[in-house]
Amino acid sequence: VALDHEPGLRIPNMLDAAVDGEFKALIIQGEDILQSDPNTQHVAAGLAAMECVVVHDLFLNETATYAHVFLPGSTFLEKDGTFTNAERRIQRVRKVMAPKARYADWEAVQLLANAFGLDWRYTHPAQIMDEIARLTPTFAAVSYDALDAAGSMQWPVTAAQPAGTPTMHIGAFTRGKGKFVITDYIPTDEKTGPRYPLLLTTGRILSQYNVGAQTRRTDNVAWHAEDVLEIHPHDAEQRGVVDGDWVSLKSRAGETTLRAQVTDRVAPGVVYTTFHHPATQANVVTSEYSDWATNCPEYKVTAVQVAPSNHKAPWQEDYERLGEQRRHIEPTTAQGG
Amino acid sequence: MNTRQKLVYMANQIAANFARLGEPAAVIATADHIARFWDPGMRSKIVKQLDEPGHGLSAAAAAAITALRTGQETPS
Repeated sequence: VALDHEPGLRIPNMLDAAVDGEFKALIIQGEDILQSDPNTQHVAAGLAAMECVVVHDLFLNETATYAHVFLPGSTFLEKDGTFTNAERRIQRVRKVMAPKARYADWEAVQLLANAFGLDWRYTHPAQIMDEIARLTPTFAAVSYDALDAAGSMQWPVTAAQPAGTPTMHIGAFTRGKGKFVITDYIPTDEKTGPRYPLLLTTGRILSQYNVGAQTRRTDNVAWHAEDVLEIHPHDAEQRGVVDGDWVSLKSRAGETTLRAQVTDRVAPGVVYTTFHHPATQANVVTSEYSDWATNCPEYKVTAVQVAPSNHKAPWQEDYERLGEQRRHIEPTTAQGG
Repeated sequence: MNTRQKLVYMANQIAANFARLGEPAAVIATADHIARFWDPGMRSKIVKQLDEPGHGLSAAAAAAITALRTGQETPS
């Protein structure tokens, strides 16, 4: 297959194009964009506008609420492959049991590709790695045999560095010397004001991983059972909010309701929450502003207002209803014959 | 923001971040960034936007999109 030299759309651009009716279908593997991406209602609108959304995941995650087709994924125990970590270390993963979902992820992808009319005949992930090595200069000398012999290797693994490269850029960078660029400080366009006087910053907690699709399904919830809004005592007192109260968290993008935790861990004027739980969906509130170069969402700066509340936000109620409806499995009727 | 407004916003944002380079380097860098990292559909939309009255593009962004229109077939 010839690769297109043109860049493709980034996720936010895909969703915009879907809302405009120009982007029709998406296959999502191991990613839960409904919960992880900013402005959840826009993400939902984009997914809902597509003609075919396929989610291939270990769990019926939140994005699966909008899927037309769900393909069950396989765990690291059910497939051969590699994981490459942030240290550039390529490590083998070895199957210890047959996939409960019948197919390892790569097999599901191959079946899908062949259903689209391609003629893929891989019989083992080692062959896929050989192809990666042919196409990727920094993986040129990677193979399962080499990995099995070495245990693990850090890319670049090349003819010149067949054992891998523990330390990169010794003596020079790939481009030669480093390039320094002067740039101005450009403040965000997300501004606080009378309606939204506080700044929301979102983040993570150690016991939950990203949107929590995996960790929420474990006993880790004992440490972090819900997302709470951390608010400074001064800001809480001004709003009549007491520790443990339900509060509405509202921005220009949307609104959610969650429990307040009054704490001086946050500065006056700043509130903080995590985005691990779909019942809260902190990203209903976050803005669509992003950085100029990569469109990485500006999760750390959203102008918000906080007020005591005794009810869920409309999005939470709608989403809860939709989630229940989409996850309901009708019993199959026995076919007569 | 609708898609068109977002694209204008993004183009202006890129131009603002290269402003310190001074012209014409900032205009070239902006055009180059859009050519390399925007998909063809987005590029085509922003080029069409140039012809809209009150297109909303900053002077540097508009100059970059004009350069892009001229050499559209050859992203560097």
